[in-house]
Amino acid sequence: MKDFFETALLAPLEQLGRQVLAVLPNVLAMAIIVGFGFVAAWGLGQTVERLLRVVRLDDFCNRLGINAALARGGVKSDPSHLVGRTAYWIVIAFAVIAGLGALNLQPINQFAQSFLAYIPHLLTASVILIAGYLLSNFISQGVLITAVNAGLPPARLIAAMSRWGVQLFALAMALEELGIAQSVVVVGFGITFGGIVFASGLAFGLGAKDLAKEYLERTLSNRARERPPDDLRHL
Amino acid sequence: MGSDQRGPSDVQLMKPSVALTPETESRVQAIGEVEILVGIPSYNNADTIGHVVRAVSAGLAKYFPDRRAVLVNSDGGSSDGTPDAVSRAVVDFGALLISDQQSRLQKIITPYHGIPGKGSAFRTIFEIARRLNARACAVVDSDLRSITPEWIELLLRPILDENYDYVAPYYLRHKYDGTITNSIVYPLTRALYGQRVRQPIGGDFGFSGRLTDHYLDQHVWESDVARFGIDIWMTTEAIASGARVCQSFLGAKIHNPKDPASDLAAMLMQVLGAVFALMEEHHSVWSSRQDSTPVKVFGFQYEVGVEPVNVNVERMIAAFQQGLADLAPIWEQVLGREMTAELMPLRTVSSAEFRIPDDLWVRVIYEAALAYHACLMPREHLLKALTPLYLGRTATFVLETQGLTTVEAEGRIEQLCLAYESRKSYLVERWNHKPRT
Repeated sequence: MKDFFETALLAPLEQLGRQVLAVLPNVLAMAIIVGFGFVAAWGLGQTVERLLRVVRLDDFCNRLGINAALARGGVKSDPSHLVGRTAYWIVIAFAVIAGLGALNLQPINQFAQSFLAYIPHLLTASVILIAGYLLSNFISQGVLITAVNAGLPPARLIAAMSRWGVQLFALAMALEELGIAQSVVVVGFGITFGGIVFASGLAFGLGAKDLAKEYLERTLSNRARERPPDDLRHL
Repeated sequence: MGSDQRGPSDVQLMKPSVALTPETESRVQAIGEVEILVGIPSYNNADTIGHVVRAVSAGLAKYFPDRRAVLVNSDGGSSDGTPDAVSRAVVDFGALLISDQQSRLQKIITPYHGIPGKGSAFRTIFEIARRLNARACAVVDSDLRSITPEWIELLLRPILDENYDYVAPYYLRHKYDGTITNSIVYPLTRALYGQRVRQPIGGDFGFSGRLTDHYLDQHVWESDVARFGIDIWMTTEAIASGARVCQSFLGAKIHNPKDPASDLAAMLMQVLGAVFALMEEHHSVWSSRQDSTPVKVFGFQYEVGVEPVNVNVERMIAAFQQGLADLAPIWEQVLGREMTAELMPLRTVSSAEFRIPDDLWVRVIYEAALAYHACLMPREHLLKALTPLYLGRTATFVLETQGLTTVEAEGRIEQLCLAYESRKSYLVERWNHKPRT
């Protein structure tokens, strides 16, 4: 009975205790790393946010139309706060991965390595998306102003198409960078973009064939458009 | 401006602002020194430049026969034989009853280097003027059809005999000719710098050798000034640098017609961009000046028939209303929500009732200048987005002055100028404040 008690009950408990004791330093290390990570994340987030407020990032973003775009997207925070929070979560993510790595478990180590290898792609894709967004705003604003000054009635439609075209292109590039359904993205983008161009060509050719004819005649023969009498000299 | 003329040694020591071709260099050295230089920038003006050269030659022979003079044609690579037309142009002095001419007019025909545009052509003319130690210079457009020999005297005499540094032209123009000048550039320049130069972007100017040096020493020759902002830049620099400025009455200005709507937005962008950029540079000058003073006008003033100008008001109002419909978010960013809201009722009014009042227009221009200063958006976009607003204001001016004579219409422009001056404190106050967010 005593043997049974020792071998069947105490031995497994003893082994479990030894295993727990063996893992306990790692768990403690994980807790310290994660805890320290949270503190560092909070500190870095606050510092970054305050620093960006000092260098007036919010004013700069306002000039670029980023604040308005964020507001349109339902984001009420200003860019300084957003960047600060991003820094906070990046540090948290690293701290958690480092903490899990301290457990020294094979699957978690593999995940951490894969995640770290993927970070450059994530950063590149983010840069592509941000640059694409800013470029699309700039281009669509320029297109809108030019179209209005040219007296084209569908000015806003043309500007919106240019905006979505650039954003679609940036999204396709970002997804390709991330390796998400690469072939589907490239083919999908090709079909969509080609379709838009084809549809625009058809719409212009069929719906506005007189305008197209006049435009081509004017361009090719370098003839001035007939205008109602107006010889205002502005300068 | 200093009062002393440059000495030959000073000229030798000065570093060249722009390189001249070897042929031009040797021609300049051969000529040595002159008292008068007249410059003509050109690009494909073969059909009109001959008349301009003859008028200049006759003017110099008739009014300055005993002074050494040179004519400089700075050409932008014309393909229609413009330089040949300049070299071929001769005057029959006998027919003009001019007998007292001591020497033949020297000519320098040279291409210019740098960014294509009138500014780069002027830079080469200024450089040659400096090398030749010219005491008085004038520049005239190469597409002028109404230039007479008297223009040359009127542009140069105030500099040579009255010690002025800058002579701006004073033309008789149709009330609807020069609407950017009338609604923006003249009133704004007058309100800012306190001098009533009626045609600050006239295109034909006289200036002293001292002012030439000042122009060449400015670092603007790679900017838009080198393209088409040169006229307003020259006038503003002259006033802001403290040069003695006057005007000369030249009669009517008739020049080759350009397609009026070829690219109004680009034209407005260049002119307004130059004015706003100069506001940034000369803030210390204009922020302390109040009111304005008349600028002396030389020459015998007379009434003259001017070419009629056809105006399509409906088209301008339609352009404004489309701008209001499509560009409202951009205007809100530039002008603010309140001012854009003030414009909103104009979206539906009939042509007869359409008006942009003086005070609102002045605030629009001042807010645009502030937005440009604060870089609230890409500057090219900001300036081009003002085109429908400008057309709306022009339509207002046409509607208000339809039954008025040119002199009476000038009274309306005077009212607008006073509105600019009375609102200037608003601009000064807001210039250094934090931009609107």
